[in-house]
Amino acid sequence: MSTEERPRTGWLQDRLGWSELTASLSALRAPRRGFMFYLGGLTLFLFLVQVASGILLLLHYRPDAAVAFDSVEEIIGNIPYGSLIRGIHVWASDLFVACLIAHLFSVVIRRTYKAPHELAWLSGHAALVLGVGLAFTGAILPWSHKAYGQARIGSELARSVPIFGEAMRRFMRGGEEVSPSTLNHAFGFHVAVLPAALTLLVAAHGFFLYRKPAYVAEPGTKPVETIPLYPDFLVRQAVAWTGIIVVLMTLALFVDRPLGEAANPLAPTAAVRPPWYFLPFHQIVRSSPAELIGFNGPKFIVGAACGLGLVVIALPFVDPRGSKITTWAAWIMLLILALLAASALL
Amino acid sequence: MITVACGVLALAVAIPHARALPPAPSAVPSAAASTPTAAPSASASASAAASATPRRLPGAGEATNTCVTCHATLSDTKLSTPAQQYRQSVHRDDRVGCVGCHKGDPRDPTVGAHSRDQGFQPHPTHAEIPEICGNCHSDPGFMRHLNARLPVGQAALFALSLHGKLTAIGDQSSPTCADCHGRHDVLSPSSPKSPVNRANVAQLCSKCHSDPARMGKYNIATDQFAKWERGVHGVAFRKGNPNAPTCTGCHGAHSATPPEASSVGRACGRCHEEELKYFEQSPHSKSFRSRGLAECAACHGNHDIAVPTAVLVGTTPDATCTTCHTKDEKPRLVAQQTSDLLRGARERAAEARATIERANASGVHIAGTKYALDKLATAELKLRGVVHTLDPARLEAPIAVVDAAVNDAKTLVKNAEDMRKNERRGYYVALALAGILLLSLGLKSFELDRRRRRAS
Repeated sequence: MSTEERPRTGWLQDRLGWSELTASLSALRAPRRGFMFYLGGLTLFLFLVQVASGILLLLHYRPDAAVAFDSVEEIIGNIPYGSLIRGIHVWASDLFVACLIAHLFSVVIRRTYKAPHELAWLSGHAALVLGVGLAFTGAILPWSHKAYGQARIGSELARSVPIFGEAMRRFMRGGEEVSPSTLNHAFGFHVAVLPAALTLLVAAHGFFLYRKPAYVAEPGTKPVETIPLYPDFLVRQAVAWTGIIVVLMTLALFVDRPLGEAANPLAPTAAVRPPWYFLPFHQIVRSSPAELIGFNGPKFIVGAACGLGLVVIALPFVDPRGSKITTWAAWIMLLILALLAASALL
Repeated sequence: MITVACGVLALAVAIPHARALPPAPSAVPSAAASTPTAAPSASASASAAASATPRRLPGAGEATNTCVTCHATLSDTKLSTPAQQYRQSVHRDDRVGCVGCHKGDPRDPTVGAHSRDQGFQPHPTHAEIPEICGNCHSDPGFMRHLNARLPVGQAALFALSLHGKLTAIGDQSSPTCADCHGRHDVLSPSSPKSPVNRANVAQLCSKCHSDPARMGKYNIATDQFAKWERGVHGVAFRKGNPNAPTCTGCHGAHSATPPEASSVGRACGRCHEEELKYFEQSPHSKSFRSRGLAECAACHGNHDIAVPTAVLVGTTPDATCTTCHTKDEKPRLVAQQTSDLLRGARERAAEARATIERANASGVHIAGTKYALDKLATAELKLRGVVHTLDPARLEAPIAVVDAAVNDAKTLVKNAEDMRKNERRGYYVALALAGILLLSLGLKSFELDRRRRRAS
């Protein structure tokens, strides 16, 4: 038997059938150009960064309202590289939510939600909800006054959701009021429930995309240069990952995220803003009239926004052919959300 | 007609209401309350009402207070304003009423309510006011029905105060209860609008005590308020320090008395306990007493107390020690030694604070700074107390504690700065590794592109 005819051997090959695996990935194609195609991979990477940095923080964080703030102070002030790790975790959380939102809009703009990608689309939406939940619960954990205020404002926003509002508010607070049990509740969700659920969802999302690849050349459109998913696209994706790690480290070291004062339930929280991803909704609730055509104003408007959200989730079924209007609607919606967030900051 | 109608209405409500009132130790006869219709005509009851303390009379409550019902509607503001002010006052209570102070009989729907036979007192005299207020405010049984937290000894304390003594001898310029608390518009001292509220009390005292025309005849200085305002207590008060004393903090409120030279230490020692303790162990304590010097005030001043810096002690012209010890060798040596020790410790503490501030401003995260600064402040506080012993040898131990706190603070900063440096170093190493990785990935991508093109 000649050398060429002999099957490839090796440790991984013997155990995993590595070459078959890479061959199946090589069969999948991805566009060679376009930043949008790297957003999914970046989001996944940021999630992994959060898991890794979160585990390190967990070694010193104490989830008790009496000592939580002190333990975070200890992490950033006394533990070697604690400040860097906390900075990376905090910034990765913000970039993760930003990438999730950008990924969602990129899918709508490219109209790749349509059949046969309904399952990937729905799992992506569920991942967005869990991702925002992960960021929100994480923001509560330092138990600083800002964290306390954000827990209060964020949960108060949920109250405006029709029908489920009160239940959502109680669920987010872990009780009637923002109290030490809110911290315990947030901690449990942040370190166990949400990461586990998100891991399963991400795996499912990946599996759906493996079975039905996101990029399929549209008949009648100009052909786009594509490259194999493995190794070409993966190498390019690794460049983006390395870049984002550098960005994260730079932000963590040079852009301070001050902890502020410890939570004080007696001090006012009026100056505290909700987390940035809640700003558009905060602005909607804040500026809506008390009563609108005989209904509770904030509930009516938030109800309408939720209805719009449900339409977006149901896009593969509402717009199965991927109309160009949807692309325009996505851009307009992005603009409106940005304007609302900007006006909330003013 | 209106008066009659109001009176009838008042009587209708008064009967069940009067029964609900708390038992009165020396109130107007309860028989009169239970049979109100008989009261105005019975002269025996009337004289009893005039002589007895006029509390909890039926008709005292606002709903049944015919005085307010009529007076509030009168066009003469002199007569209507008191009724309107009463409605906003703390005395607007079912158990007090106008009758509580002015007596008379509000159950009488006619002008008979103003009958002098009923003890009606339209204008209580200056000397009568403390007695009228004391009628209720000295009765614990009655006061606990209104507000169990209110003290009841104000009238007795006032009688012992200088203000009370002057009032007792008929001095019309001396203040009584109404001059500070108001007359018909008395508010709870906890109300920010009340003149006796902690926020307003210094201004209230200064109304008289800063007026040369009023104080002239007593030969009392009028600059106390201005001095207090610029003194350490006034400055702390303006900054919102809840412990900063105002006039009443040292002089008392109802018992307002100027502290005598021998009791100044006691007044200051209410807050500055440590300082007083060490002062009493010093040679000054005995010497000041024998010379009649006003303990703390002799060095610190009274109303315009300056921030006690290290300059206060020493042999420089600014130091207070040199006011008395112009030539004495030994005391001047002690003053110099104390000053040197104190100055050194303070400079080291200030430097530690500045180091922490600088580090914080440059974005270095230092855990435990709050604790370190508190520890430093506590050590300095102790040192400030021990200084009053005037024994340089006794300063060594508290100075050692200050120095330990200074070292702890500096170590914290140093550790944080070292950690920061390490983080930066690690960042540059990571940056270099990332650069190498990016270069390798770029080359790999380039090679893959070339291979793919060649293949296609």
